[in-house]
Amino acid sequence: MMERVGEFQVEKLLLQAIFERSWEAMIIVDGQNHLVAVNPSASQLFGSSTEALIGKSIFDFFPYVLNWAEGQNIAEVTIQHQNGTTQTVEYSQVEEILPNYTLLILRDVTNLKRAVAEELHLQHQRIELFSEVTLKIRQSLQLKEILQTAVTEVQRILKADRVLIYQVLENGTGRLISEAVLPDYSPILGMEFPEEVFPEEYRELYAGGRVQAISDVHSQDPGLSECLIEFMDVWMVKAKLVVPILQNIKSKTAKHQAVRLWGLLIAHQCETTREWTDFELELMQQLADQIGIALSQGELLENLEELVAERTANLQQEINERLEVEAALRRSEEQLRLIANGLPVLIAYVDKDRHYRFNNEAYQTWLGLSPNKIYGCHLQEVHGQEEYKKVEKYIETVLSGKQVTYENDTTFQDGCIHSVNITYIPHIHEQENGEVKGFFALTSDISDRKAIERMKDEFISVVSHELRTPLTSIHSSLKILATGKLGNLSSKGQRMLNIADEQTERLVRLVNNVLDLQSIQSGKITMNKKACKAMELMIEATQAMQMMAQEHGVKLFAESVNFVVWADRDYIIQTLTNLLSNAIKFSPPKSCVWLSATMETLENQNIKQQINSYVTFAVKDWGQGIPQNQLENIFERFQQVDSSDSRKKGGTGLGLTICRQIIKEHGGNIWVTSTCGVGSTFYFTLPTVISILEQ
Amino acid sequence: MKDKCILLIDDEETIQEVVQVGIEIEAGWDVAIASSGAEGIEVAQAQKPDAILLDIMMPEMDGISTLSQLKANIKTQSIPVILLTAKTQAADKKQFQNVEIMGIITKPFNSMTLASRIAKILQWELE
Repeated sequence: MMERVGEFQVEKLLLQAIFERSWEAMIIVDGQNHLVAVNPSASQLFGSSTEALIGKSIFDFFPYVLNWAEGQNIAEVTIQHQNGTTQTVEYSQVEEILPNYTLLILRDVTNLKRAVAEELHLQHQRIELFSEVTLKIRQSLQLKEILQTAVTEVQRILKADRVLIYQVLENGTGRLISEAVLPDYSPILGMEFPEEVFPEEYRELYAGGRVQAISDVHSQDPGLSECLIEFMDVWMVKAKLVVPILQNIKSKTAKHQAVRLWGLLIAHQCETTREWTDFELELMQQLADQIGIALSQGELLENLEELVAERTANLQQEINERLEVEAALRRSEEQLRLIANGLPVLIAYVDKDRHYRFNNEAYQTWLGLSPNKIYGCHLQEVHGQEEYKKVEKYIETVLSGKQVTYENDTTFQDGCIHSVNITYIPHIHEQENGEVKGFFALTSDISDRKAIERMKDEFISVVSHELRTPLTSIHSSLKILATGKLGNLSSKGQRMLNIADEQTERLVRLVNNVLDLQSIQSGKITMNKKACKAMELMIEATQAMQMMAQEHGVKLFAESVNFVVWADRDYIIQTLTNLLSNAIKFSPPKSCVWLSATMETLENQNIKQQINSYVTFAVKDWGQGIPQNQLENIFERFQQVDSSDSRKKGGTGLGLTICRQIIKEHGGNIWVTSTCGVGSTFYFTLPTVISILEQ
Repeated sequence: MKDKCILLIDDEETIQEVVQVGIEIEAGWDVAIASSGAEGIEVAQAQKPDAILLDIMMPEMDGISTLSQLKANIKTQSIPVILLTAKTQAADKKQFQNVEIMGIITKPFNSMTLASRIAKILQWELE
């Protein structure tokens, strides 16, 4: 019994000791919820002495009724402190610790709660901070600006002494490209590093996502390379935090994306060594990720910008070129307009529907037609039906693609009738199957030319008469004297008379030739063309020249032919006699002069004529020949092979020019072939009657 | 054929003279002279020559007007007329298409062969 009493006593003491010394607040309440026992910790919790608390209801402190019934014996409650403050407590209860008595164990968790709340708040703040920095980074599209924002923000948030971005270059070297540093420390922005500082194995580690938080650069743990430690010392760096900036790169071959180490985000602590917190590490990592994203975007943007810049440059160039072309066109157009307006001709462009599309100023000054008013008007509307009918056939010709020139009389705004020469030039669109788009009309005033021509004709007519009359008298007088019927002269006198007679004849020929040529060239002569037998022309010409041939001891032969040509008999005989006369003059005595004719067709010749067949006449001599370089010249006026020829041979220097003019009027050609020392052959062509009928 | 009489109507005295002398020497014909168209018409009416040599270009009344008056006058209309012209005028033959002439002789001509040419045109026979 004594033993039992002793055990009880020990137990009671033990419990008493626990009750009194426990850190936990312990309260025993009775069935009426009155406090019956309070330990010192509870007394401290409620802020009252044990004596003061005994007998008080538990609900004086707890704001709500403890739910004993549900057996929820652990809960958090807020109790009202004696001094008015509230405490957050955890409690547990042991019901019926003694019959009708309950033990309440309370622990003050106010500080713990506060710490958790503070931690949450801090976390929230960090999230906000991170969002803010991310937002700032994303606000810019410029990589340089993004990087600068990142280092500035990291430096600010981490309160690091220096924050850097180190870019790893292709060849393994690197460069510091962004920096935020406190003013106490020297900036190291732009510094470049050899590959040894950051060797391949390190780069690979970082590419794999390694983060280095070094609280003390001199400690053995991080295992920094010696040269890097040297750098750290130079910059007075004591602790550093390094996170990789990784960039997603699109592999051209693989479909998935690859990751490459673009650079490092580095925070330096220079003042002291520093233990880096997880938060700091996380922040750095997240920012490095953001930089990585920005890099990819930036690169895309850069590519896009490059493309845009390139396209813009191209466009600008195109625009500049176009502007230059336009300016050149405007200049050219202006020059053309000035030229068109300055020329003393009417210049117009007419479209294929026969509406004016351009008229120069001369339309106003000559005809009183304002280019602006007649623009777009039909030709008939502008010039009237009668005038339009007169020129319609020429318009049809030009619109069929053929250039046409004609002369017309036009009444100018001064009321005078002017002779005009009009040329229509078709505007043919080469790219559209030679379609005629319209035509240019050029009209020049030839009134002055016509007047001069009339004056010249009158002058020549008068001169011809005035020259011929004395020539006739001299010529006839000499001929009469030469007969001797008026008395005989001495032999010397007779010789002088012969000279005067010969030279008068030559003068007569010269005057005749000059007048012939003028008449033919002026177009005043209309060739009276008829069907002529070639043989008859040849015989008549040879007969006419027979006397002269005999005088020179030259034989004339005419080949027998049977062609009919379309010719003015008199003029062709004149041509033939002229050629025969030349041939006789330049042939040595006892030689022959051949006159022949052949019918030829166009296919065999190079001569371009519109007729299908023609007769070629040939006069062949065995004279001295003509040098090759003079074969063309001899048909020009006064272009004898030897200038002394005309005097020696009594020529005028106009004979061949007249021949060429006559043949041209017949639509034929004249030419010569010659071999020096062998002889020459003069050819000319005349259309056949058949070819004329075919036309 | 020595009895032929030719009337030359030309205002140029030297022409009158060389034609007169030339024809007389060549053919022995008489040559009457008139210095203007009006005078020519008078002489033609009075002397009735066998042929008339008529110059085209004359002052006051030109050859063509003279010709039309000769042809209008019953007394002179049957006399054959040969025109004397400058070569340029002769070349433009159109202007003589509607006049009644026997021929054209262009200046300058040789008066010593003039009678032969007249005879040829008028188909006279020279001795």
